[in-house]
Amino acid sequence: MSDNATSEPMIKLENVIKYYKAFPAVNDISFEIGKGEVFGFIGPNGAGKTTTIKMLATLMLPSEGKLTIGGYDVVTQPYEVRRIIGYMPDSFGVYEDLLAWEYLDYFAALYHLNPTQRKRAIDDVLELTDLTIKRNAQVMSLSRGMKQRLCLAKTLLHDPAVLLLDEPASGLDPHARIEIRELIRELCRMGKTVLVSSHILTELADFCTSIGIIEAGRVLAAGRIDEITEKLAGNVMIEITVKGDTAITLDVLAERPEVKRATCDGRTIHAEYAGQADEIDELLEYLINRGVRVLSFARTEANLEDIFLKVTRGVVA
Amino acid sequence: MDYYNPILIKEMRTRMRGKRAFLVLTGYVVTLSLILGLIFLVLSKNAPSSIVNQSGRVLTPVLVYVQMSLICLIAPTFSASAISSEREQQTFDLLIASLARPTTIVFGKVGAALSYLLLTLFGSLPLIALTYSFGGVDLGDVAKAYLVMLMSGVTFCSLSFLWSTLIRRGVLAQLTSLITVIFLVAAMPALALFFSALAGSFNGGPSTTFLNMVDLLMRTNPFAAIASLIPGVPPIPGAWLGGVPVWICQVLFYLLLTALSLFLSYRRLHRVRNWI
Repeated sequence: MSDNATSEPMIKLENVIKYYKAFPAVNDISFEIGKGEVFGFIGPNGAGKTTTIKMLATLMLPSEGKLTIGGYDVVTQPYEVRRIIGYMPDSFGVYEDLLAWEYLDYFAALYHLNPTQRKRAIDDVLELTDLTIKRNAQVMSLSRGMKQRLCLAKTLLHDPAVLLLDEPASGLDPHARIEIRELIRELCRMGKTVLVSSHILTELADFCTSIGIIEAGRVLAAGRIDEITEKLAGNVMIEITVKGDTAITLDVLAERPEVKRATCDGRTIHAEYAGQADEIDELLEYLINRGVRVLSFARTEANLEDIFLKVTRGVVA
Repeated sequence: MDYYNPILIKEMRTRMRGKRAFLVLTGYVVTLSLILGLIFLVLSKNAPSSIVNQSGRVLTPVLVYVQMSLICLIAPTFSASAISSEREQQTFDLLIASLARPTTIVFGKVGAALSYLLLTLFGSLPLIALTYSFGGVDLGDVAKAYLVMLMSGVTFCSLSFLWSTLIRRGVLAQLTSLITVIFLVAAMPALALFFSALAGSFNGGPSTTFLNMVDLLMRTNPFAAIASLIPGVPPIPGAWLGGVPVWICQVLFYLLLTALSLFLSYRRLHRVRNWI
């Protein structure tokens, strides 16, 4: 890491723009990722996620702006950056004729590991990705999920501090997706800084500490999940389950000016409460006093999906 | 730090795994053997015994010319899709995002192609030994001919690799490489013939300048270089490089071409982020 890395964020983008001919695929984005954070980069297809990740992985030059990883500039210090990052693209090929260990040995050598280090690293990553049993299997004989895990194993050989994972679970069946998610969770526990992109929100919700929402080349929100939730979720959402006619409950709720919106989903009512958070018990008291038979009354946290829908407009670049 | 070229090792592993490498090698040696056998059969039936006793003088140049022709056809395919195939297989990004330097990539890929070329040339050595045993052949001339073939193969591999870095699609890169080789070995002599005809059309006799240009063009040609090693073949008339053996001129010219190709390939890969 560079000398400036101790106080600097691990990944930093400042006013980054990338043009493809005259079209800005990435349009003036800025955000930071701290050391040890797991940053979920969310956006629809064509939003600019892969372009941003490729610039961070030193595969592409930005048209304008600055990107740094570990204090190193990706434009002027690409080899220093490559030393500390592990990159897994969204679509990748493998060398089908090689054996699994040969594939890893190849990349380990490209990362300048000596023979002893290579052997140890290969054993470690095969164990981590649960591929030890496939050590001597030909790569072409591996399933899609196993190839994905092999690529992830390759990404970890030189023990990088930062991982750039572009849709690591894309194209996998649910079981394989869970395996990849568990792996990423394990990597988080190991203290790695991870930037993982996806257009599937539920994948990221479980383990991300911070998120960046990108649409049509622009970052619409970026930061810790709890901060964004608090900033963007706006009003408190309440979930009320009642016994009896829900229409009566909706009428009662309509009488309260602090209830902005209420919708019904079977026996459950979702209400948006615009009042003071610590006075929410008064609403419950009002409902009971008006004869509503409340089975449950709970405040719900806005989830990633809520935030995403609120922030984006559904624009595709 | 113990470091070797992992790209060279990987390329050689994948190249020699599977049937293709052995089929090509076998086909190469079988083709040469059949042609030699056919010519020897014709010679032994029709030529006087004095010729048959020195049939090495006929068989060796034939063997070398056939090999040279095969090298022109197959050497470009050894490295023409070196980079383009990585892009098509979507492995190129992973390679670039690693700590592999442009020199490692260039020497690894071209080195692997050359290793296979050396293998094919070595494969023909038993046949050369056979023709040598028929007599009439100078070993020194055979060695020079092999040097010409090797240098030509090296140049064709280097040029093909350069095309591979410039052209995205593997098939197109292979085609362009083949056209480049054809230009070098056929178009240049064709140009020489053209200048030769032009030289002869002057009323005062052939112009010296044209003759020298013919001489220069022919000296770049590997077939002309091999021909210059055959005893009894007249030298190319020309004053500029008259004292220098043709095969030396050809080897030096191709060495220059190789160096230029490798340098341009290195430059292209050094600026990979501009075109990836």
